[in-house]
Amino acid sequence: MNPIITIRNLKKSFGDHIILKDINLDFYEGEVVCIIGSSGTGKSTLLRCLNGLEAIDEGEIVFDGSDITSHKTDLNLVRTKIGMVFQEFNLFYNMNVVKNCTIGQTKVLHRSPEEASKIAIQNLEEVGLRNFIHADVNKLSGGQKQRVAIARSLSMNPKVMLFDEPTSALDPEMVGEVLETMKLLAKKGMTMIIVTHEMSFAREIANRILFMDNGIILEDGSPEQIFENPIHERTREFLKRFR
Amino acid sequence: MVYIRILENFWEAFLLGIGYTLLLSLVGTVVGLVIALVLGVVRSIKTTPQTKLSRFLLKGGQALIQLYVTVIRGTPMMVQAMIFYYVFRRIGLLWTPLEAGLFTVSVNTGAYLTEVVKNGIESVPKGQEEAAKSLGMNRFKAMSLVILPQAIKTQMASIGNEFIINIKDTSVLNVIMISELYYVAEDAAMRYSSFLEAMLIAAVIYLFLTYTTSKVLKIFENKLGVKALEIVSSN
Repeated sequence: MNPIITIRNLKKSFGDHIILKDINLDFYEGEVVCIIGSSGTGKSTLLRCLNGLEAIDEGEIVFDGSDITSHKTDLNLVRTKIGMVFQEFNLFYNMNVVKNCTIGQTKVLHRSPEEASKIAIQNLEEVGLRNFIHADVNKLSGGQKQRVAIARSLSMNPKVMLFDEPTSALDPEMVGEVLETMKLLAKKGMTMIIVTHEMSFAREIANRILFMDNGIILEDGSPEQIFENPIHERTREFLKRFR
Repeated sequence: MVYIRILENFWEAFLLGIGYTLLLSLVGTVVGLVIALVLGVVRSIKTTPQTKLSRFLLKGGQALIQLYVTVIRGTPMMVQAMIFYYVFRRIGLLWTPLEAGLFTVSVNTGAYLTEVVKNGIESVPKGQEEAAKSLGMNRFKAMSLVILPQAIKTQMASIGNEFIINIKDTSVLNVIMISELYYVAEDAAMRYSSFLEAMLIAAVIYLFLTYTTSKVLKIFENKLGVKALEIVSSN
């Protein structure tokens, strides 16, 4: 099977500060990958490189056959196939719930308004917000906002979904509903790459864990392997804090 | 009584003057806003383009916009009106005082609102643009569908304020003989040699216009839910 995303020799720094040192990775369709590690180790930056929100310094990222770092590639087209969910939700605050989920479909994918709203409502139903389609997004709770954000991305029918610490900005009692929605999505076979600090969730949902430390992928393996028998002392130290 | 005589003989002229004043300030604010939307967006571009030519065009364009804003904000509208009216007539554009007046107010408002639009764009959280990009929107779509609507909403008070300022400041356009409110008042004053009375009438009318306008704008702002935007994206 060909990987859906291939990363080769990826390097990225902000000024003098090196964030990613020579990353090499393959992601496959149907994988649910959780990226864990301490803050500031480059997890979010790596994720943001995958849809070109961060420009890379060196290397190559190939998504579904197209090199996203090449100027010849239509990055906007690639982005329609990669959904992204942000820590701070980033819903469009000038639109209601359903409009958030149709705007990309009508304005980017050029779907008809009828088709777009049908798809949007389906996805809102999926995340449990069928009764909120005409609600003002400003009035939603954090958990509801994040579920709208997931429905917004799903409505574009992406091949991969990226999650950048999707529960870190939430009140503790709202974390559950968002994680449940993500588990449902994983069950349906969605390819997901998730940066998270929720260790038990990562262990439950992922079929592959990446442990990042200081700009490199220190360990890459199954949840059992990483959580039960980590190879590196650094990984063991990190995981100890979550026991 | 002189007030009654002025109003008896000039009420139609005053009404017409109100009409011109409102026309000038309304058209000026709307056209000025359109100018400002374009220039404000260009001013707010921070990324450096790939090619040398587009980099040159962007930097050059931004410098010209800065020059326009500085010159217009640094000179009185009365002087601008005179210069525009006569300069364009000299080069063969035989426009009427009203046309020159509409041009002047628009260009003047455009300069003030360019800064307002730029500030509005900068006040929209960066995550909005990132979310728009992540859905595959290009820069133009992200700007027009997501960022500008929110930017304008945050700056509604400043834009409305500019309209009120225009109602008052179009009085200087009497210098190019547009029969707006102040021009009418001056005309009446000279007819009856009663400057104080005519100006008091003008002042009351101006106050009425600006007061009602500000009330209407308040209602409009509340309808738009400008407050709602101040709740930022955290729970």
